[in-house]
Amino acid sequence: MSIHDLLKQYIEEGRIKLDKSIHHELTTYHDPCNYGRKGERAFGHGYYEEPRWVTQQCCENYVEMYPNRANNFCCGAGGGAWAAPYVEERIFYGRVKAKQIKDTGAKLLIAPCHNCRDQIMKSLRKEYDFMDVEVKYLWELVADSLVMEPREEAEEE
Amino acid sequence: MEPLLLTKREKRKLASQYADLCLTCGTCAGGCPVTGVDGLDVRKAVRLALLGMDQELIDSKFPWVCTLCGRCEYACPMNIDLLALLRSARGMRARDKVPGVLHKGVEMCLKTGNNVGIPKDDFVFLLQDLGAELAEELPGFEVPVDKKGAKYLFTINSKEPFAEPEDMMYWWRILYAANESWTTTSENWEGVNWGLFTGDDAAMKEIVGRIVKNYKELGCEYLVLPE
Repeated sequence: MSIHDLLKQYIEEGRIKLDKSIHHELTTYHDPCNYGRKGERAFGHGYYEEPRWVTQQCCENYVEMYPNRANNFCCGAGGGAWAAPYVEERIFYGRVKAKQIKDTGAKLLIAPCHNCRDQIMKSLRKEYDFMDVEVKYLWELVADSLVMEPREEAEEE
Repeated sequence: MEPLLLTKREKRKLASQYADLCLTCGTCAGGCPVTGVDGLDVRKAVRLALLGMDQELIDSKFPWVCTLCGRCEYACPMNIDLLALLRSARGMRARDKVPGVLHKGVEMCLKTGNNVGIPKDDFVFLLQDLGAELAEELPGFEVPVDKKGAKYLFTINSKEPFAEPEDMMYWWRILYAANESWTTTSENWEGVNWGLFTGDDAAMKEIVGRIVKNYKELGCEYLVLPE
């Protein structure tokens, strides 16, 4: 099961409650290659809409990068490049992603992939000067938006 | 460079069974952020394969600076399997020539069950310790390990227990809020499969097989890899 389906299900079924007022800044979403294009090719379904929907359950102000979905640009660290020694090439690759992000004017970027998040948060922000943009995993955004309700004690008694 | 005699070229080794459909339009290379790096691009990689110059591609850096993102393949008007081609070039490198730590990670995962070699006891202790910390905020919370019959089995990205352990708590908070039945495992919990990146299908299969074995033995309903 995909994390996107799971998060969507929790929200739709009311199993978790989210507070939209916590993340009020303009927010954008990065399509990881693996959940999008490659998922579409390998499994017949690209996860484009589900994570956008989840993001927008947490954030009121949302903006798209261009291009996006199946035509989105890779962060530059996929395919093992984050762990490979070609640092200069990886940063060069990421210039396109950095420009896409900066062009949106968003102050919060959501990435549901470890590689993409690390490349953008730990490398591109510094190299291309957009440290003012915060980067979160999709599940981090959801966890930070949670309204925790006290557990019913009945089952413990 | 020696003249290339097409009549004497070797049989192609690279996975490129559809490469001869290439129209040389350059759509692939035109939309790729690393076109030109190392003097190559995707279109040229296809030409190398077609000309039987497999070794040139295998020895070049290009298949590794390419991130296998698939934008070229998505746009290719002839639907050529460009990623299979580039990944096979990675797979044909001698394993000691695989750049950086990628193959070492694969070997470590095969040996210890995770890419960074965290021992079972340390891992379980870390989960319990962090779980207890979170329980101060979320009463009754604990990390379920090897719990039979849990609905969801979660793998973990070794980067987290290794370097950013508190990031595991995001999922834990969500699962607590949803009152979910879930578990992780004390062994072979690694969700990152570097065999995918090094073109090593045998290792990839072995690592996936171990996760599936956990899943079956615990009788879980769903497997979740939060990658």
